[in-house]
Amino acid sequence: MMENIKENRVEYFILLVAIATFMVLIYKFRFNKGMLIFLSGVGSASYIVWGVIHHLIRGKLTKNIVYEYVLFGLLVFLLFFSVLSF
Amino acid sequence: MFDHNKSRDENSNVIKYWRKHPKSIEKYQFVYHFLPREDKKKRADLLDNKAILIYCVLIVFVSVVFRFVPKFAPGVLGYASNITISDLLKYTNQKRKENGVPPLKLNAELSAAAEKKAQDMFKDGYWAHVAPDGTEPWDFILDEGYDYIYAGENLAKNFSNSKEVVEAWFKSPSHKSNLIGANYDEVGFAVVNGVMDGYETTLVVQMFGRPRQPSMLATVGDEKGLPGENKASAEGIEPASESLGESVSSPEQENSQETPSSEVGKEEYLAEGSYLVQSNANPAIDITTATKTVSLAFGIFVSVLLALDIIYSRKKGIRKFTGLTLAHFMVLVVVIISIWLVFKPGLVI
Repeated sequence: MMENIKENRVEYFILLVAIATFMVLIYKFRFNKGMLIFLSGVGSASYIVWGVIHHLIRGKLTKNIVYEYVLFGLLVFLLFFSVLSF
Repeated sequence: MFDHNKSRDENSNVIKYWRKHPKSIEKYQFVYHFLPREDKKKRADLLDNKAILIYCVLIVFVSVVFRFVPKFAPGVLGYASNITISDLLKYTNQKRKENGVPPLKLNAELSAAAEKKAQDMFKDGYWAHVAPDGTEPWDFILDEGYDYIYAGENLAKNFSNSKEVVEAWFKSPSHKSNLIGANYDEVGFAVVNGVMDGYETTLVVQMFGRPRQPSMLATVGDEKGLPGENKASAEGIEPASESLGESVSSPEQENSQETPSSEVGKEEYLAEGSYLVQSNANPAIDITTATKTVSLAFGIFVSVLLALDIIYSRKKGIRKFTGLTLAHFMVLVVVIISIWLVFKPGLVI
């Protein structure tokens, strides 16, 4: 795992910064459901883009990996949305 | 010393046995639902793309069920709450104190107007400052005989407790200006349970005012109908501890030249005392708990599988042609924390 992190440290650093920013924003807008849904959508889409770019740079991008990130991003958004929509 | 030939014979015997009794190993194949496969260089079956798609479909299906249940069984699903007027007043005045504004006094006419506004929203099924027939908040206030110079209204629904309501109002700049508005001397609250859009919920109406005539200002005597805890707050007894909460408000001030209040009407209303009742909405199924449980169940299930994948792959030195498992895991942990700790029910307008 450490090798994986060392090998992709720039990407992981970007991901950590994005996650920290996301957490700050959802805490700041925790009483604004419209904004939380928007942030969930932007966060999920950003993760898909991050994953695709990472594999593209490494020359490891396949159709299956694109599907994987799209599905995972969709799962993350639905987990948020199913709570926020009520 | 290692006997290579002996080891090969043993393996050969094991393979022969497996070929002869395939059932003996088939029963262990289920572990690959949960663990990565070295031979296929992929994650556990329950983490492949098809499985993730199925989880997405299931989440959508459950959400649709939660949407349709209220149409067939109104009131079964709802928002459990425990909101009291005394707490609403306490937290409101805490916020005012923190912002250097004098505390508000509880006023019977404003509370009566708030109660009627809440009942009107349930009756006509709307959630807005202005009713579908054009009735404005000020009409409710004036109908109670409260002649004002300034008036305002904050609304909240689906909250579980009083502190969250006031925090939500304080967090919204527009509602905040009502909550800590220096133009107001008095406040009225209504906390009413009912069924809206098929969901059992609690509406909170907060009405602010400054009477045209200072003599109309509420006194301790005006609050004789309050239960013990409400009376204490209404008399201006400040809470012992500071609140860290926030709140929301939308300023809607208006001048009016209506008739002064009716003492008879006020006394009758105080006698009823209905707006002073604490709200304890207890639907059969709390929709907040239900939706959070479903999301957390899926989130935690997938996270555990990802964690198993990371640990097992490292232990066995399995390299897979997939996306970054650790990144997926990190993102899911954020989702779980957000849903568990940050997301609260409730809307304010």
